Amino acid sequence: MKDVREDILARLLVVVAGVPNIKTALRNNVDIQEELLPAVSVFDGDEETGGAEDRSARPAGRPYVARMMPEIVVSEKHDGAGSELSAFRREIISRVLGDATLIAHVGGNGAIRYIGCQTDFGWIRSQLNAMNVQFMFQYSLKIEEL
Amino acid sequence: MAIDYSALLFDPVYAELGVPATLTAGIAAAVDITVIDDTKPKALPLSAGTQTAEVRSVGPGAFARIYELAGKGIARADYADAVLAFNGRAWVVRAWDLIGSPMGEDWGEVRFLLKEAAVG
Repeated sequence: MKDVREDILARLLVVVAGVPNIKTALRNNVDIQEELLPAVSVFDGDEETGGAEDRSARPAGRPYVARMMPEIVVSEKHDGAGSELSAFRREIISRVLGDATLIAHVGGNGAIRYIGCQTDFGWIRSQLNAMNVQFMFQYSLKIEEL
Repeated sequence: MAIDYSALLFDPVYAELGVPATLTAGIAAAVDITVIDDTKPKALPLSAGTQTAEVRSVGPGAFARIYELAGKGIARADYADAVLAFNGRAWVVRAWDLIGSPMGEDWGEVRFLLKEAAVG
């Protein structure tokens, strides 16, 4: 049994947990306590294939090209000038795109792409700075391996 | 005869619910005032694509009477970045809401929006 999607997500959590100054790494946890900050959260991404548009008569069990877009949300509290968001962004992009295990998971015909990021700012006990860093993972979904 | 909301409403409420506080604005000496602690739970939403995550914390705040502040020499221009200490913690005023009274805003309350003094 092999689940490339799950392998990518599990490895992604390990990779981002290693970013310097991150205190907590979470997966699919939508309630982040302030005491855990700086935190990085990996949310399992939507997966797409070309299956809906495939009008061919090919067998159902043939491989698909799948694309998955997980969300990586990093959050920290710091007044504006002291924000570490830029450093977190640099580290996340560099580590995800350069990780040999992730590259191996997507395979020779796969791809990892940095899509972009969005920022959020607000006030709690102090200023909260957050960034959603998005990637796209393309890999072969082999039905016989599931 | 007009109703004196300060004497009949705000002052009794502050006498019952208020706690002692010190407000230090700029280089001026600390001033003793009374505030009502308005610190509440706060969950701040984060963009996470199709998910909505939240960071859970508190939104620190405190009410004070504008006329008490003015009477002790604290003008509105002094509110910004003033240090407000009460209930065992010290905070910095980052913003405020003026909450009027039927007698006019100068006789109403101010709600200080606070931030932690030690971070950042």
